[in-house]
Formats: sequence, C-alpha cells, structure tokens
Amino acid sequence: MASPSPSERRLQKELSSLMKDPPPGVSVDANAVYQHLNLWNVHMKGADGTLYQGEDFQLQFRFSSKYPFDSPEVTFVGDNIPIHPHVYSNGHICLSILTDDWSPALSVQSVCLSIISMLSSCKEKASTLSIEKH
Amino acid sequence: MADIFNFIFGVVRNIFRMFSSSRNPLNNSLNIFIKCNTGNTLTVGLDPKWDIKDVKNIIAPKLGANPDEVKIIFAGKELDDSIIIEDCDLGEQSTLHAVKLKDLSIRATKQKKCSLLRETVEDEDEITLLQEKNNRDKSHFYVYCSVCAAMKIGKLRIRCSKCKSGAFTVDTDPKSWNDVLKPNKISGHCEQNDCPDGVFGWAQFYFRCAEHICQGENDIAVPLYLLKNNLRKIPCLACTEIKDIVFVFTCREAHVTCLECFRVYAVLRLRERQFVLDDSFGYTISCPVGCENSLIDECHHFKLLTKEQYEMYQKFATEEYILKAGGVLCPQPGCGEGIIVDLKCDKIVCVNGCGYVFCRKCLQGYHIGECNSVDNNISIDNIQHVTDPAKALQARWDEATNVAIRVTTKPCPKCRTATERSGGCMHMICTRCSFHWCWVCQIEWSRDCMGTHWFG
Ligand SMILES: [Zn+2]
Ligand SMILES: [Zn+2]
Ligand SMILES: [Zn+2]
Ligand SMILES: [Zn+2]
Ligand SMILES: [Zn+2]
Ligand SMILES: [Zn+2]
Ligand SMILES: [Zn+2]
Ligand SMILES: [Zn+2]
Repeated sequence: MASPSPSERRLQKELSSLMKDPPPGVSVDANAVYQHLNLWNVHMKGADGTLYQGEDFQLQFRFSSKYPFDSPEVTFVGDNIPIHPHVYSNGHICLSILTDDWSPALSVQSVCLSIISMLSSCKEKASTLSIEKH
Repeated sequence: MADIFNFIFGVVRNIFRMFSSSRNPLNNSLNIFIKCNTGNTLTVGLDPKWDIKDVKNIIAPKLGANPDEVKIIFAGKELDDSIIIEDCDLGEQSTLHAVKLKDLSIRATKQKKCSLLRETVEDEDEITLLQEKNNRDKSHFYVYCSVCAAMKIGKLRIRCSKCKSGAFTVDTDPKSWNDVLKPNKISGHCEQNDCPDGVFGWAQFYFRCAEHICQGENDIAVPLYLLKNNLRKIPCLACTEIKDIVFVFTCREAHVTCLECFRVYAVLRLRERQFVLDDSFGYTISCPVGCENSLIDECHHFKLLTKEQYEMYQKFATEEYILKAGGVLCPQPGCGEGIIVDLKCDKIVCVNGCGYVFCRKCLQGYHIGECNSVDNNISIDNIQHVTDPAKALQARWDEATNVAIRVTTKPCPKCRTATERSGGCMHMICTRCSFHWCWVCQIEWSRDCMGTHWFG
C-alpha cells in the first residue's frame, strides 16, 4: 500500500485529536470515517442556554485531495437543519472561513468551534438568507 | 618551466616521504588544490589526519619561505596550525589558499584565535543553539545544484568581491542571510598580490554543492535559503508532522511547511494559475496562510518541484511575462504558444507553435479590415460566395454555423483561450488556465453574477 499523502496524514491526525479532545457537544462518527477518510459525519448538540438547546444537528465535512490548502466543504445534513440567518435550508453554511478566509492553519476543530459560536451568538431564529443577498 | 617542474617534484617527494612514514597511506588521501597568491596552483594529496602545520611544511619550500611565513586560508578564515584537515570540511578537489606573508610584524598584530567559519547562518537566537556540538551534524545550508540536478547540502564559501580570489579573510562572521546574500556587508582582507581593491575589500559569499566533486571555479550552487534545519521542531502547518528540513515562508509569522507539503501546495496553486508575476521576485506565490508580504522572493525554490512540474512552472511564467509585456497567447486550442507582438501589425503568426495566423485584436482567424464583433462575425469569404445561387445557400449554412460558433465560444478574459459554452450556465471555467469567469460580463465570476444571471 502506498504511504499516505500529506492530506491523508493530516486527516488521520485531526481525526484522532477530535476523538480525544472534541469541542463541547461535538462527536465524530469514527467508524464511518475509517471507511472514507474524506467524508466525515460530525454530530453537534445545540449548546445549553442558546436558542438551539436540546436540538441535534449533523454536519458533513467533505475533504478534497487539496485539503488543507483548500477548505473542506461543510454542510448541515439530515432532517434537522438549524434555522439561522447564515444557514440555508439546504444546509449550506455561510461562513467566511469556509471560503475566502480559509487557511491551512485552521482545522475541523476550529471549523466546529466557529459553527458553535455562530449558532450560540444567534439572538433570533430568523429565516435563511436568499441567494442574491449572499 | 624547469622551476615549476622542480616545484611539483618537490611536493610529490614531500608527500611521498610523509606517506611512507604514515600507517595510513594513499588510499585515504584527499586531493586538494593549493592556490598561492603568487599565481601558482599545486595539486596535493593530503592525509585527513594532518594538521595545518603539516600542510605549511609542504608548501613553504615551494613559496621560498619558512613554514611560519605562510598562512593558509579557507572559506574566509585563516586556519590555525593546530586545525586538523578532516575538521575543515574540505571536499575532494577543494581549494586551499596559501599566502606568503610579506611582513611578519603585520601578522603578529592581526593574529586572532581563528576558528572555522560556521557552516550555518541562522537568525539571532539560533546562533548559540548552533554552537552546540550535537547540532553540527544536523545543520546545513541547502542549495539547488545544477550538476546533480537536485536539492543538495551546500557549503558556504568566500572570495574577494573584486578579484574573486579565495585568498580572502573576513573581519567578522556573517550573522544572517542578509549578510550573505547582499553585497558589501562583510569586510575583510584580500591577500591576492594584484588585487585592484588592495588589502581591504568586501567579502563575496557563494555556495558549492557538497555532494559532487568540485568542477572548478564556476561550479556554484544557488542557495535555497528558505529551507532550514528544523532545530526548533516546528510541525508542518499542513500535515502537522515534524520534519528535519522545513520550508520557512517569508511572512512575519514565518509559517512552516515540510518539503512534501510545500511541493503539494506549489503544484496546486500552479495548476490553478494562482501564482502572481511580481516585478522583483518573478512568478511566485505567498504563504499558504495568505499572510501579507510573504511572496517567495527566490524562484529557485521552485526547483524543489519535479522536472515536469518545474517545466510547467517555467511555461506558465513565460506566458505571464508575455501577457504582461503586451504579447498574446496563441488562441488555437492545445497550442497556447506565447507570442511577442508588434503593436503596429494586427496579423499574428504562431511562428514557434502551430502556425495559426490570427488577428491581434479579436484573436479570430486573420482578416482584412475591421474586426467583427463576437456576436455577428461574418467573414469576408462568405460574403463573396453569395453571388452564386447554389453557393449562396451554402454560404448561409456557413454563415449559420459561423454565427453559431461565434456565439457559443468566447475568449477567456484571462488567457484569451476560446472557451465553448455548454448548457445554460453562465459560470465558465477556462479549460486552459482554470480561471472562473462570467459569460455575460466577461470578467471574473462573482457572487453578483450568481445573484443576477447565473442561468439564462
Ligand atoms: Zn551537486
Ligand atoms: Zn581581491
Ligand atoms: Zn507537511
Ligand atoms: Zn504566513
Ligand atoms: Zn499556436
Ligand atoms: Zn480581428
Ligand atoms: Zn483562460
Ligand atoms: Zn456576470
């Protein structure tokens, strides 16, 4: 078997660190990740004391071979998509670190933390953005 | 002539004598050139166990001097009598410089405790770190060697900036890359008899590949000074592994990647044509984190890519230069040859490429007269055919297909390659340069385009 690419080595490290030391309310479906290293399902619980308390969400991370030089594709999936001004009903998340402000110094962990803080800072469950305004 | 003969014979006899008394004979000797400030060059075999005093004993008679009237200079430093040859880091066929002192009193005042020049220059606080013995084997300069055609360990060497003689000693050690790469930073003494700068001059630093036998004065390697020995054990920002050699970007944060990740990153951005053409640094990229002022300022670092990738780099760089200089790229699919154009002439021939003859302004096949706009381009040929009724019908066909072709291809706003539009999406991705552009606006694809005319 060929030795893992830098991208695979990085993902393996991130996976073990996320399993060992996950941000609060976050867990990764490790068994599924072992099957496909480039497709992660991450569970996220709405934090206590926020509008999303008691809700369960699922995030999907899709990594290209260009990871970490290019950002992962991160979307909410499943039947509970959070109602939030920066989340489209199809699960697309409008977060600058997932596009223009991505840097290889960021990680799955930091993306999860940003999404948690994005949800936590929401004061009102507003309708999603329309594509024109994006 | 006879003199030189005697001279060489003397050296050979001397060496012979010393080897015959040694238990470690010729098979272990180093072939070294000794260049004298009188202009002579000798080839000698030196036992690595000898010290500099032994070398002086051989050389002195040839200079008509006593051993203590000779000084031996290597890499910008006078070597002490007690220094052992094998500690000098001399490669096979290196050159030592022998100088016959004219005035012994000068020497007495100038005599310092001479150590060998450090084999590494690192910044400030690393200097002390490097003096620790255990780091010595791990500390190297890295160069791109054109003889070996690869990245290799390099050796820092010094010569007089004026006469290029290696019989030059530095007044102070270089402390940073700045001292080494910029001219006239470190002063010193040139011992060459006829140096136009006289005794006081500036050091010129250069590098040799340590991994092949020196092929003469011009066998110089390019320093890859962004490669560092990872003595601080900093993990690669991409793969997080701690590697011995790392690439340190020029940003203030000095972000670090391993060499493998540097290659992956560079090739990725190269394929996407995300390199920029900088006036002073050439065709280059910045730190993967996107830091300000972090462009790689020495393009030889891209020699770390494979041969094929470097060829692609050169090709793309040339194309960018040509475009910037007002030239054009041949619009013929699969060609893309860069052509320097005469701005007075609209007829361009792809001379070194496919031979296509086209119009400088509209990049369509060459035509006489005004360019037709992209949407209703009817060539002069078609109009001429209209006189014949049978041909007129065909001409309309031609015309129709002609229009169809014109309408469904537009040149990429970046590289001018004709790009065909398929389906109703206005979001175009150039097959040649991967530029994302808008069919309607003919500029870079934007969120605005997405919002107002994504489809149509
Ligand atoms: Zn070499
Ligand atoms: Zn000189
Ligand atoms: Zn790496
Ligand atoms: Zn940086
Ligand atoms: Zn051509
Ligand atoms: Zn034209
Ligand atoms: Zn293009
Ligand atoms: Zn547009």
